[in-house]
Amino acid sequence: MHKLISMTALMAVLAAGAAQAETFRWASTTDPQTMDPHAVNSAPVLGFLNNIYEGLVRRDKTMAVEGTLAESWEPIDDKGWRFNLRKDVKFHDGSDFTAEDVLFSYQRASSEAADTSSWFAPVSEVIVVDDHTIDFMMKAPNPIFPDSIANFMILDKGWAESNNAALPSKEEENHATLNANGTGAFKLAERQPGLKTVLEPFDGWWGDKEHNITRAEFTPIQNPATAVAALLSGDVDMINPVPIQDAARLKERDGVKVIDGIEARVIMLGFPHQADELKYGNDAGKPNPFKDPKVRAAVGHAVNVDAILQTIMRGAAQPASQLVSPAMRGYSSALADRPAFDPEMAKKLLAEAGYKDGFSFGLKCPNDRYLNDEAVCQGVVAMLSQVGIDAQLDAMPVRNYWPELRADNFDMYLLGWSPGTFDAEHPLRFLASTPNKEKKLGSWNFGDFSNARVDELLPMIQSEIDDGKRQAMLDESAKILQDETAYVPLYVQPLVWGARDNVELTQRPDNFVILRWINVN
Amino acid sequence: MLAFGLRRVFQSLIVLLVVGLVAFSMFRFVGDPIDNMLGQEATAADIERLRGELGLDQPFLVQYYRFLEGAVQGNFGISYRQGRPVFEIILERAPATLELAGVSALLAITIGVALGVFTAIRRNGLAANTIMVVSLIGVSLPTFLIGILLIYLFSVELDILPSFGRGDVVMIGGWSTGFLTVSGLKALILPAITLGLYQMTLIMRLVRSEMLEVLRQDYIRFARARGLSQRAIYFHHALKNTLVPVITITGLQLGSIIAFAIVTETVFQWPGIGLLFVNAIQFVDIPVMAAYLMLISVVFVAINLIVDLLYFAVDPRLSGEDAVAGNG
Repeated sequence: MHKLISMTALMAVLAAGAAQAETFRWASTTDPQTMDPHAVNSAPVLGFLNNIYEGLVRRDKTMAVEGTLAESWEPIDDKGWRFNLRKDVKFHDGSDFTAEDVLFSYQRASSEAADTSSWFAPVSEVIVVDDHTIDFMMKAPNPIFPDSIANFMILDKGWAESNNAALPSKEEENHATLNANGTGAFKLAERQPGLKTVLEPFDGWWGDKEHNITRAEFTPIQNPATAVAALLSGDVDMINPVPIQDAARLKERDGVKVIDGIEARVIMLGFPHQADELKYGNDAGKPNPFKDPKVRAAVGHAVNVDAILQTIMRGAAQPASQLVSPAMRGYSSALADRPAFDPEMAKKLLAEAGYKDGFSFGLKCPNDRYLNDEAVCQGVVAMLSQVGIDAQLDAMPVRNYWPELRADNFDMYLLGWSPGTFDAEHPLRFLASTPNKEKKLGSWNFGDFSNARVDELLPMIQSEIDDGKRQAMLDESAKILQDETAYVPLYVQPLVWGARDNVELTQRPDNFVILRWINVN
Repeated sequence: MLAFGLRRVFQSLIVLLVVGLVAFSMFRFVGDPIDNMLGQEATAADIERLRGELGLDQPFLVQYYRFLEGAVQGNFGISYRQGRPVFEIILERAPATLELAGVSALLAITIGVALGVFTAIRRNGLAANTIMVVSLIGVSLPTFLIGILLIYLFSVELDILPSFGRGDVVMIGGWSTGFLTVSGLKALILPAITLGLYQMTLIMRLVRSEMLEVLRQDYIRFARARGLSQRAIYFHHALKNTLVPVITITGLQLGSIIAFAIVTETVFQWPGIGLLFVNAIQFVDIPVMAAYLMLISVVFVAINLIVDLLYFAVDPRLSGEDAVAGNG
């Protein structure tokens, strides 16, 4: 009798296990703040909504662009792009997907109320040709436009209008903040902001199903230690990210695995290129040494990136030589070497620049923006002191950090950059162009780096259709930035996820959790 | 009595206004919400426009005035992070915190009083001394550490309790309760212990020392001499007389249980208003921060007010002094 009971109990447990097997529960530090695909341009929101909404194009497992709601696209001479839309697509509420929905979504996503309007800066006009053909006309030739709209998501015109959500809204709640109606492989089943968001597979999806999930539950868990505990105890199937210091320990535990790769984000040091004086440290008020390219080059030689990666990043990251990682389009493979770690060389360069006895300055650093950012800055401070320059570290939360940088309150700073378009043109536009408010250039170029040739090349790169010529110009720009040491790129930030052993998934460098590639065995 | 009450209510209002003033003068040091709201591709023009729309370019006194103006009308603004009315969000989250705080307080009081009486009666016993030593841990270990230790023991190693969250909840009207489901009750155990442990040890030590004090009194000796049972002496005569200060302290501690829930809620990802506040700080969600701080001060002020009025009712000497002060 006793045996019978325990057998029954065992079977009940097994049955429960089998029934639950296809529920996928995952956790991340931030909750997507809205379900509106155009209200916020941030990775947690766009990454989450990629499971519910779809764009004209999307990125595959290698980050290459492939057709989604557009079956194919072609340039219309130099004037724009024609997208041929898929015909068998339905929204989650059953209505048909047509070119009108694309036009509506374009108008919505490019409106002033939307956060995503910068994606459509090159667009002059959008023309519906027929129900399944739509033209995006450009102000100037634009070879990378289809690449740049992989996160532009299409929602249903009728649904948005009848629910009073024709425009995204920040200042007040609207229907699209809490509800969703996309064409994606998953539909929104339950949304409790900050608590739990549940997705279920959409039976009417046009694509071929690669996953076996029947229900997916997302929970934000802010405290990394709690998230690790939740994964270890089996309360969740996957967490993103795993704190780097816990990764080794997780690898040794049975039942869980660590999946690591590299992100699209390059971490670098920036300098004040125009400031006349140092602002911090013991030499505050003295002339700014970083105006001299030799001093900047000396910093490049003084920082031992390999040591940083081994000790602080536990071997998970890769050194970087340019403003983009090797996985990005337009990366210059000829310029893959970063300055050699050579303290003697650094001292020599400093002496040549007239700083034989070094100098003292202030290094600004965030402490909650990038993985182990403050620790990296402490490492940099120690390495710089080896060549005789004294960096005084001031680390702060990111909510205080950007206002400080914007007010030019730094002598050197740490910055991470992830190109939204996955193209080398992106950091040129934001980090290397001479700041210009009217042209919307250089908005993150806090140190006001300015080089006439780089400024001249950018519009040519933006409108060059020929891949070879375009790459040559990108190479030239990257070479100038390296020669001038506009920035000192340090490394490409690692991406560390943790999952139960029975979860099969694909990790993409943009850190998006794509449910349609996940299998729970 | 009425004058006393009115004067205390008036003083409470002033305290609230000052708390709000201090809070608003500090918000700009918390950081700038604009970057969080706009993303990396925003232009300087977008930033200026949004700053103007939110009124962040105004001096903090103006911002505070606008907040008060709305608050008086029951409008606490729209959360920067969620784009939803703050009042609605707080109503959604409050049940989680109140249930957690209620259970913690209940645990702290029942176990605290029971252990306090026990350690006082058996003051030289091995068990009582062990409890006293162990209770030091409750006072000295920080909450987040206790929480993490409990999670590792009961969720990761023993795998009998959930590591985070609130389990399944049932909606009753606008109130979400975790009391009606098994997973909800299981999820309550660890956070409630973590949150209540400090108060529990505090109450225990308080009851113990009061009890020891009372047991030395003459009337206890007379009670013993009269041949009353031990049980009647301890629980009827002694305990009753220890409870006056205990009730006062417990009342005041209830406010701090709600306020200190911040740490416990972060460790356990407990979806209450404390976690909401932590989120709000990270995002510089000023409307949520303002509403939370005002709410917590209302709770504290209200509890203090009630305690004061209770004192007044309990201790007739107060009214005499009040009358004298009033005449003078």
